[in-house]
Amino acid sequence: MTTRQTRPTRRTPRAAITGIGVIAPNGLRTDAYWKAVGEGLFVLDGITRDGCGHLPLRVAGEVRGFDAAGLIEERFLVQTDPFSHFAMAAAALALEDAGIARGEPAEPYDIGVVTAAGSGGGEFGQRELQKLWGQGSRYVGPYQSIAWFYAASTGQISIRGGFKGPCGVVASDEAGGLDAVAHAARAVRRGTGAVVVGGAEAPLAPYSMVCQLGYAELSTAEDPARAYRPFTEAACGFAPAEGGAMLVVEDENRARERGATVRAIVAGHAATFTGASRWERSREGLAHAIRGALDEAGCAPEEIDVVFADALGVPEADRAEAGAIADALGAHGAKVPVTAPKTGIGRAYCGAPVLDIAAAVLAMEHRLIPPTPNVFDICHDLDLVMSRARPAEPRTALVLSRGLMGSNAALVVRREDDSAR
Amino acid sequence: MTRRVAVTGIGVVAPGGTGATAFWDLLSGGRTATRGITLFDPAGLRSRIAAECDFDPFAHGLDPELSQHADRYIQFAMVAAAEAVGDSGLDSGAQDPWRVAVSLGSAVGGTTRLEHDYVKVSEGGRRWDVDHRGADPQLHRAFSPSTLASVVAEQFGAQGPVQTVSTGCTSGIDAVGYAFHTIEEGRADICIAGAADSPISPITMACFDAIKATSDNNDDPEHASRPFDARRNGFVMGEGAAVLVLEEYEHARARGAHVYCEIGGYATFGNAYHMTGLTCEGLEMARAIDSTLDQARLDPTMIDYVNAHGSGTKQNDRHETAAVKRSLGAHAYDTPMSSIKSMVGHSLGAIGAIEIVACVLALKHQVVPPTANYETPDPECDLDYVPRTARERRLRNVLSVGSGFGGFQSAVLLTGPGGRTR
Amino acid sequence: MLTTQVTYDELAALMKRGAGVTVDPGELERASDTPFGILGLDSLGLLGIVGELENQYGRSLPPDSERCRTPQEFLDLVNSTLKAGA
Repeated sequence: MTTRQTRPTRRTPRAAITGIGVIAPNGLRTDAYWKAVGEGLFVLDGITRDGCGHLPLRVAGEVRGFDAAGLIEERFLVQTDPFSHFAMAAAALALEDAGIARGEPAEPYDIGVVTAAGSGGGEFGQRELQKLWGQGSRYVGPYQSIAWFYAASTGQISIRGGFKGPCGVVASDEAGGLDAVAHAARAVRRGTGAVVVGGAEAPLAPYSMVCQLGYAELSTAEDPARAYRPFTEAACGFAPAEGGAMLVVEDENRARERGATVRAIVAGHAATFTGASRWERSREGLAHAIRGALDEAGCAPEEIDVVFADALGVPEADRAEAGAIADALGAHGAKVPVTAPKTGIGRAYCGAPVLDIAAAVLAMEHRLIPPTPNVFDICHDLDLVMSRARPAEPRTALVLSRGLMGSNAALVVRREDDSAR
Repeated sequence: MTRRVAVTGIGVVAPGGTGATAFWDLLSGGRTATRGITLFDPAGLRSRIAAECDFDPFAHGLDPELSQHADRYIQFAMVAAAEAVGDSGLDSGAQDPWRVAVSLGSAVGGTTRLEHDYVKVSEGGRRWDVDHRGADPQLHRAFSPSTLASVVAEQFGAQGPVQTVSTGCTSGIDAVGYAFHTIEEGRADICIAGAADSPISPITMACFDAIKATSDNNDDPEHASRPFDARRNGFVMGEGAAVLVLEEYEHARARGAHVYCEIGGYATFGNAYHMTGLTCEGLEMARAIDSTLDQARLDPTMIDYVNAHGSGTKQNDRHETAAVKRSLGAHAYDTPMSSIKSMVGHSLGAIGAIEIVACVLALKHQVVPPTANYETPDPECDLDYVPRTARERRLRNVLSVGSGFGGFQSAVLLTGPGGRTR
Repeated sequence: MLTTQVTYDELAALMKRGAGVTVDPGELERASDTPFGILGLDSLGLLGIVGELENQYGRSLPPDSERCRTPQEFLDLVNSTLKAGA
C-alpha cells in the first residue's frame, strides 16, 4: 500500500528531483538546452508553420529539428498530437536521466505521472474538425478520442512506462506547470515513490493561434528582436513557444537507496489567484505565493540565491512582479540575482515554468546564473542578470509563474547539501 | 493532527432538472432524462441521443455581465457553485480569501465553443489556414481550460489555490480529491470543488461514434442507457455540472454549518494498459478503493453503497464489477451498486462530481438511487445493481468510483453521520 | 474503379496511414494469423481501418469486423462481405 498509515516509522520523505528531460526551442535534450540557456542563446523567430503565415501573430519559439521518430515509437506520431510527442520524448529523457527503466517496473504503483496542460492537442483537433466539417462525421478517426483532450500526455506516458501510481492532470494557465510539480512532490510526501511530472505544449497550429489572439498580453510584433522584452520600456507582450520539460520527482530515500543522484529538493510551493489579466493585483497575489512557498520550505528570504522570474513582458505585469519580489523578499529583493531565460525562447504556457525549474537546477549544478537574452535596459529595481551568465554558487532558487487566467505560483528548489545529511 | 474535510454545500445542474431537489426527484423516482439530441442537428451521426439539460442561465440568477462570455459548461458550473455556496451558508465576504480555494474538473472544457467558432473561421472545414477575422475575441477563454476555475474563483472572490483538473472521465472525482488534499494539507480551509462539461457537440459525438463507445438506440432514447444490463450497447452522452463546498471540519463546526458528510478518503491510479481499454480484472480500480478504505481505516464490510462508474459499455461494466468484488470480497454481493448514468447519461468529466453529489443526497435521504432500465442480467455482472426502483437503506459509508480514458481509476469515500471516521 | 477485394498490400497501407504501424505487406501475408496486437495495431486502429473501408466502399461492414483478431480473419470477413454485396 502506498498510503501514509502503512509507513508509520518513516518521517515524511522529501521530494527530490532525480531526472530532467527537455524539449525546447533552444535545445532538444537537457544538455543542449543548458548550453543554450547558459550562453543566452536567442532563438525567437518568425513562425514557419503551415497555414499560419497570414496571422497577426508573427513571432514564437518553435521547436525545430525535433526528430520525433528517434525518440518515440512511430505509431504515436499518427495516434497523438505534437504536445504529447514533446511530453513523451521529454519524459523518456527524464527517466533515462534518473536511471529509471520504462517497461514493466518492479513496483508499478510506486511511480505516478502528472502533467500540466494548457492548450491540449490543438493541431490534431483541428485536423479532425476539418474532416468532420469538410467531409462528414464518418471521417473523424478513432484517435481523436484520445489525442485532443488534456489528459492525453499523462495517459500515454503512464502506459508507455507501465506506471500505475497516482496519475493526474492540472489543466491550467502557465502557473499550472509549478502546481503540477508541487502536486507530484505532495504525492511523494504521501508515499508514492516517484512521479514523472511536467508540462509540454504545442500551441502553434493555425486555429490554436487564432484562439490565442484574444489574449491582450500576446505580442504581435513583427521583429523577433522586439517581440518579447520584459522589464524594459519596450515591453510589448510575450511571444508564445512550444515544448517543455518533464522531471522525475522522487522520494529522497528511495533515490538514495537505488544510488540515484539527488539533484535538488522541491522544498516549497504556494499558489494564489488574483483574477485574469488583473496584473496590478498579481503583485499582492505573487508576494503571497512567495511567502507561502518560503514558509513551506522553511527558508528565509535572504537564503534565496536566484529568482527565475515570470517576466510576462507587459509593463503593468512586470511592475507587479518586481513589486512582489520586493514585498516578499524585503531588502534582499533588490540584491538577489533575477533571471528570465525564457526571453530567449518564448513562453511555452504550462511548459514554461517547468523549463525554468530545469534551468534552476542546472544553474545550481553548474554554479552559473544564466542571463536574460535580448533584455538590456531595465526600468525596475531588480538585479536582472543580462548579457552573459554570472558565476555564482546558488543553493536555493525561487521560480515564479503567473497565468493569463489569473493564477500566481512560487516554487522553491534547493540544491542538496551533502554536508548537512 | 489530521484535518478532517466536511461537505457543507452542494449544487447541481443535471439533465432532467437544475438544483439538488429536482436532481434527487429524478434519481429517486428512477426516471431517465435521455432523449433525441436537440442542441444541434445530429443527422448523419451513429449515436443521435443524449441527456441534455434544459437550462436557462438567466432564470437561475446568473449575472448577465459575468456570464456573457462564459461557455455553456462554465455557466453550468457557475449556477451549481452558486447553489452550493448558498446551501453551505457561507458568507464569502466574511472568509479570508487566501484560504478559499477552487478545484474544478472538466474533460473537454470549451470544445463546444471552439468547434462553433472553428466552423466560421474555416469556412465550414474548407481551410487549414483559418481566417482570424471572423473569430470571437473572447475565444481564448474557450481555448484555455483554466477559464473554468478562474471564472468561479472570481464569482466568489477566492484567492487561494485555484486549479482546473482534466483527467478525462475521472475529472470530477479527481477535482474533489485534489480539493480534499488541499484542505487536509492545510493549504486552504474552504474549497469550491466539482466539475462541468457540455460535450454534446458534433465533434465530441463524432469522436465517440468513431470508436463505437456510445449507444445507437436512437429509436428508444429513454431506455438507451442500460448499465450492467445484458442488452446494453454503449453509453449515452450527457452534460451538466456539480459543485460541492468542502470545508475543514472544525471550521464548519465553528460557524455552525450543516455537515452533510465527510470525505473519508480518495485515491487514483493509472492502469498503464490502454488509453481506452480496460482489463477484466479491475486491479487498479480495486487498488484505488482499497486505498480509500485504508485512509479511513474502514473494513470493506462497512461499505453500504457503491456508486458505480457504470457507463454501460460491456468492458466497463465487467471491469468494475470485478474491481468491486476484489475490494469488498463476499460483501460485494450484499452491497447495492447502482449507476445514475442510466438516468442522467455520461457527462464525461462532470459526471464524477454529479455522482458524488448523488452520494451526498443518498446519505441525506438514506436512499440508494436505482439503475434505471436494468432488466436482463449479464452473467458476468452478478452484483446487486438496484434495478429500476430506489431503495431505502441505512447508509453510513458510500463509495463512488470512476474510470477514464488515459487509464485513470479513481475512488472517493464519503462518510455520513454514524459512519466511522478517523 | 473500386475492386471488391482488399489485399494485404492495402491492409498494410491502411495500418500505416491510420495507425502509424509499419508492416511489410509480404510479412503481413506470411504472418496473417498473428494477432493484430502483436503486429502493433490496437483496437482503435482496427476501428479506424473499418471506418476507412466503409467510407471507401460506401457501405457498412459487419460489427464483427472490428473484433477480428488477425489479418486473415479480418480480410476473409471483409472480402466475403464486399463480394456478397457486389
